[in-house]
Amino acid sequence: MDLEALWLTLRLAAATTAILLLIALPLAWWIASGRGITRALTQAAVALPLVLPPTVLGFYLLVAMGPLTAPGRLLIRIFGHPLAFSFEGLLIGSIIYSTPFAVQPLVAGFEAVDRGYVEAAAGLGASPARVFFSVVLPMARSSLLTSAVLAFTHTVGEFGVVLMLGGNIPGATRTLSISLYDLVQDSNYAAANRTALVLMGFALAALVVIYLLPSVRRNQGRQADLVR
Amino acid sequence: MKHRVGGVSLNVAFTLAQPWTVLFGPSGSGKTTVLRAIAGFVRPEEGRIVKHGDVLMDSTTGEFVPPHQRLVRSAAQTAWLFPQQDVSSNLAYGSGWRSKPGDVAKIIQEVLSLFHLEGLGDRRPSALSGGEKQRIAVARAVVSAVTWDHAKPPLLLLDEPFTGLDAALRDDLLLGLRQRLEEWRIPVLSVTHALGEAFQLDAEVIKIADGRVIEQGPVTNVLAEERERLLTSLRVVKG
Repeated sequence: MDLEALWLTLRLAAATTAILLLIALPLAWWIASGRGITRALTQAAVALPLVLPPTVLGFYLLVAMGPLTAPGRLLIRIFGHPLAFSFEGLLIGSIIYSTPFAVQPLVAGFEAVDRGYVEAAAGLGASPARVFFSVVLPMARSSLLTSAVLAFTHTVGEFGVVLMLGGNIPGATRTLSISLYDLVQDSNYAAANRTALVLMGFALAALVVIYLLPSVRRNQGRQADLVR
Repeated sequence: MKHRVGGVSLNVAFTLAQPWTVLFGPSGSGKTTVLRAIAGFVRPEEGRIVKHGDVLMDSTTGEFVPPHQRLVRSAAQTAWLFPQQDVSSNLAYGSGWRSKPGDVAKIIQEVLSLFHLEGLGDRRPSALSGGEKQRIAVARAVVSAVTWDHAKPPLLLLDEPFTGLDAALRDDLLLGLRQRLEEWRIPVLSVTHALGEAFQLDAEVIKIADGRVIEQGPVTNVLAEERERLLTSLRVVKG
């Protein structure tokens, strides 16, 4: 198996998850906190990668990061080189592509927290930031974990965007899924099998974690009740 | 203030001058909406709310102070105890004396005792009865109001704070709390539709019906008619 590709994939997934959570937390809370056309448009934009073919997204990002567009020129000025076919470019693409997987579980989790708790905290003098971190986030912690697991796993498995945006540069942009594609092209089915198994393992582990969460929460609830 | 909510068109004006004022009226008369407007959770369509000279909202100037910046502390009818925190942490949540944590602990102990909640400090809300949760919610607002580090005391807003408690406990709690809050100089505006509670508190009463203030004054004057009606019905039952 291509260990370099495995390491790159893990780095990419970890960085994507970390950055995405920083973006997704305030964004999801803002979406969950109200209604209106701006929020609906934002939600639609966030969900777009779910329905767009990854190659379409990859193509637009490739064009946007190139020297022909203003954002592309700005990024080239900041990083000193075009972002297409680089790890940084891949990271930006991964963040955009995995955004719905991080944002949507959080929106659902935040919406499940009754506004009564928010008002109770505000009625005790807590600022909106304090209400969010001390009341809302602890109550939505399983959604936070689901969001992180989905963002990580989805990044591990992405193919279309990576291929369009990063190409296939060993150590820089060749991820496990690209490596698997290469191995199959080379008819190296034994190695392809091992790589596929690793990718399958990630996906299965993620799903087990997500489906285990409700029973963990139930057990915690029972223990709390037994304290009586 | 004027505000339309559900089927009620609220149009009320009053000034709080006594240590404890009770908003008295039937269900759906707009009492809770008045409390929520003062707390900042409802933005009245028209009106002006002023606390100790500080404008909390004014529809003509567009001023609106967000809830957490108001010199107001509130407890809703539902307890809304934070489920991840034990009772002590819930009680300390809104405490203002960051510089005097020892004093906060002392106040919490006193309030726990005042509300007959001794020994519950390390319990989670899921392990409490409905009555205990309700008392803790009121106690939490009291701790927040008492420990507020400010020259002007906050106004304490309590929505049906004693509804559902058994009579003996309610009587004891009511008188003890009233006395202690007066000593702490915390003004209170509470909501009730229980006649006995208003009389026991011996409070100033604002009678409200269909979104309008009917009368404001001492409980013996404002609720004399309701009291007489209750006594008559009791005599009928006794006779």
